Amino acid sequence: MVLNRRVLRILKENKLRYLGIFMLIILGSYTFIVAAGLSQNLANLVTTFTEEHMQEDLSFSTDRVISDRAELEKEFDVIIEEYMSFDAELSDTLTLRLLSETEKLNIPAVIEGRGLSGSGEILLDPAFAKANGYSVGSQIEMADKTFTVVGFVSLPHYIYPLKNVNDILYSPNDFGVAVINREEFSDIDNVASIYSVRFNDRTQSLNRQAVQFRERLRVEGITVSDWIDIMNNKRARVVWASIIGMKTMSVPLPAAMFLLSCLIIGIMFWRMIRQESVIVGTLYAQGYRRRELTRHYMAIPLLLAFAGGMIGSLLALPSIEPMVMAMISYYNVPVPGIKLSFLNVLIGILTPTIFLGLSSYLVIRSELKRSPAELMKGDKQKTKVNALERAFKLERFKFSTKFKLREQFRSISRLVFLFLGVTSASVLMLFGFTILNSMNHVFNTSDVYQFEYEYAFRDLQFGEAPEGAEAFNAGKFYPENNEGIEFYITGIKSDSRIVTLKDSKGNPIPNNQTNITKALANRLGIKAGDTVTFINKEDGKPYTFHIDAIADSYVEQFIYVPITEFNKKLGLPENSYMGVFSTIKLDIPSEKLSGIKSMSEMPNAMDEFFGQMISMVALMTIVSSIVALIILYLVTSLIIEENRNTISLFKVFGYRRREIKSMILNSSTFVIVAGFILSIPIMAASMGAIYGYLGNMINLVLPTIISPLYVVVCFVVIMLTYQLSKLLCAKRVNEVSMSEALKVGTE
Amino acid sequence: MFIDVSNLKKSYTTGVIKTDVLKGIEMKLGKGEIGVILGPSGSGKSTLMNIIGGVDRGDSGKVIVDGIEVNKLNNDELTEYRREDIGFVFQFYNLVPNLTVGENIEVVSNISKSPLKIDEVLEAVEMLDKKHRFPRELSGGEQQRVSIARAIVKNPKLLLCDEPTGALDYQTSRSILKLLRQVNKKYGTTILMITHNGAIAAMANKVFRLRSGEVVDEVVNQVIVPAERIEW
Repeated sequence: MVLNRRVLRILKENKLRYLGIFMLIILGSYTFIVAAGLSQNLANLVTTFTEEHMQEDLSFSTDRVISDRAELEKEFDVIIEEYMSFDAELSDTLTLRLLSETEKLNIPAVIEGRGLSGSGEILLDPAFAKANGYSVGSQIEMADKTFTVVGFVSLPHYIYPLKNVNDILYSPNDFGVAVINREEFSDIDNVASIYSVRFNDRTQSLNRQAVQFRERLRVEGITVSDWIDIMNNKRARVVWASIIGMKTMSVPLPAAMFLLSCLIIGIMFWRMIRQESVIVGTLYAQGYRRRELTRHYMAIPLLLAFAGGMIGSLLALPSIEPMVMAMISYYNVPVPGIKLSFLNVLIGILTPTIFLGLSSYLVIRSELKRSPAELMKGDKQKTKVNALERAFKLERFKFSTKFKLREQFRSISRLVFLFLGVTSASVLMLFGFTILNSMNHVFNTSDVYQFEYEYAFRDLQFGEAPEGAEAFNAGKFYPENNEGIEFYITGIKSDSRIVTLKDSKGNPIPNNQTNITKALANRLGIKAGDTVTFINKEDGKPYTFHIDAIADSYVEQFIYVPITEFNKKLGLPENSYMGVFSTIKLDIPSEKLSGIKSMSEMPNAMDEFFGQMISMVALMTIVSSIVALIILYLVTSLIIEENRNTISLFKVFGYRRREIKSMILNSSTFVIVAGFILSIPIMAASMGAIYGYLGNMINLVLPTIISPLYVVVCFVVIMLTYQLSKLLCAKRVNEVSMSEALKVGTE
Repeated sequence: MFIDVSNLKKSYTTGVIKTDVLKGIEMKLGKGEIGVILGPSGSGKSTLMNIIGGVDRGDSGKVIVDGIEVNKLNNDELTEYRREDIGFVFQFYNLVPNLTVGENIEVVSNISKSPLKIDEVLEAVEMLDKKHRFPRELSGGEQQRVSIARAIVKNPKLLLCDEPTGALDYQTSRSILKLLRQVNKKYGTTILMITHNGAIAAMANKVFRLRSGEVVDEVVNQVIVPAERIEW
């Protein structure tokens, strides 16, 4: 059809406009496919690894060997395997945890080199090896022995190798894990023995099976300690935070952006087809059939949507693997291969094609419902005053304000298009900054603990704590009817100077009462003044606490009670304690300790974490600026196109260029400001929902904190983008000649 | 009669206001004749022409063109009627801006069953040398010539011209009128033309004066003045 020769010419004549639309489609389909591919692959890799390598369901230590293990395995249909653990100090700040090689549970996956075959061999966690300069063949001296690195290993229960299960961040510069032969432990002192358990019946509630199993151990008189369910084990669960976070934020977010782009482009084509109504009417009058005109007007949207979707998908496919690898490098999971989903590619291509095809079809069909005579008269809504315009009573404003407002109100669809575009770009931009801000608030402003070291003892201690230290006692609890949430209730000194809690206004909270951290209070839905009952994980008995205050802390999920009250409630001796907080390093024999936590490890881990965060925020800011620029350029160029006659007339009347530009190009300013303002509550609400979801998944509660500084930064970026789009469009205003107003017209 | 309009009525409603645009029009024009409709703005000229051309519908009455009762055609049949039988020339040309002169004509020849040759009609309107130019590169008169070429390329039975000289200067207008006369003679095309310009009536076989939706006068010209001799 000769008409279709117009298609390429129209594209060429409005290069920037169509390039903008094209970019928006490419960006939409690209981000959608990458994000979907990323989360699907991560989930797949982690699930495959944990299932094939038999990740434990729980682990614990005991006061004595479980002698009837085979009987227990049969009775509870479980696999029980004992492994050894020893923390070897390579230097004052570097610890390597040696674990014995297992065969049934948490089976090590050798990801480079070879498996263990003899004594003196060691498999290292690859991030630790990289951070500390070890390669296959390197030798490490520790525990009075020399080990040769024969390979790198991934462990299902150390996917995120945290030193302590309650840590949040991991730093391979300070800590790592390694696997050695079980026999190597025979001449190492103070080795911990840990039992791993995995239930064979995956259909039943694992929690319920765990409770029964634990009850059985109690009946046997076995005292268990360090009981950790896999759902509460951050070493195994943090990776799921990334996956769930990816799914929660990345898939719906690009999907929403994608649909929004499609909607925006749909509205754009609608306007463009309406603008062509005279030509549509003329062709219709000349005898063109509806379907011929429909086909012709659908050509550009379909071409752009299909090509954009295709290019976006083609660019996305090779990006998935490096992105998965970058993401997974933060965790220790073997990567046998990356799967590319062709269903996602199909969605990436078909969504814009269907959406834009359908919207342009509906528009052209609705246009063709009008008679050719009507169409040839031009846009029938040109002179209509809509409800919005009437409601604002524009008469009271001065001419230029009235003109700008009217310009926006006259076209509700264009207004919606601009508003949605600016709001979504601002939300995206604020999103990144808010995540950064929340994390920053949680980690950098947390000054609850004033200690440098936390020592946990194997057995209950009595009497006074060593010099410079404060005694504490702690027990693991869960709310009634919800075993999924575990937390510590810690007994601390009533006059503790090491635990310094503050309320939301920054005022100190006394330690001679029961205080809950904000993170846990939010998670459990507890307010100050509530009386709550929790079940002690050790003895299964309920204990009731009256909450006096909420401490403004997000890192820790704890309830603090005075140690005397804690001991009394749990029936422990009055002057007993399980651990001490200390400002100095204490000389405690290692056989007495079950763990040491050093605060000096935090900064390294935080630097690494924030480095990644800042790159992510920068990327989000760039992407949202591009989206905003495209949208603003599209709307501004559309405004100019629809106002060519007015611009021409203004020129005839003697308006200066500056005045014309001000009236035409600045008419969107108030919509952009309003769109940005609206983006703040939208972002806060969605962030709250996402954080709530993440909190349940990984024991980490984040506050939604919007910093006024970042809001100003985002606003400045949006406004600069707007200025840039105006600059790009100014040339088009200059190009409108005065003769247009005199030549063009309808009867 | 080639065109036979009887008791044609049409009204528009805007909000609560009903405007009777055509109040029982009677009009007859023979095959191969040129008819001119004269009248002030708002007299219903364009509406009458649109209904005859099948781009609009009358409320009641009969419109018969070459035996086809136009008012009884459904939308698809109206499209076919316009496609095969009617050529339009508009005051503001309505050319497709992104197509060349040749392609603007091809747009219509493409959908016709027995179109004339494109070069032949371009030759007839003296625009063959500008076949590859875009509308923006042409003067108003040249654009109107292209518009006429586009209308006649399908060899229509009826050529409807809505103020074909309305946007043109005197000399250009005369050349356009001459061209229309040539088309009428060469192809035997019946032409119905709307104009404000009373002087143009001299080149028509029949002149219809419209006022407030009614034909107030119908004149058959005994002496037809050649277009090039018309003056105003």
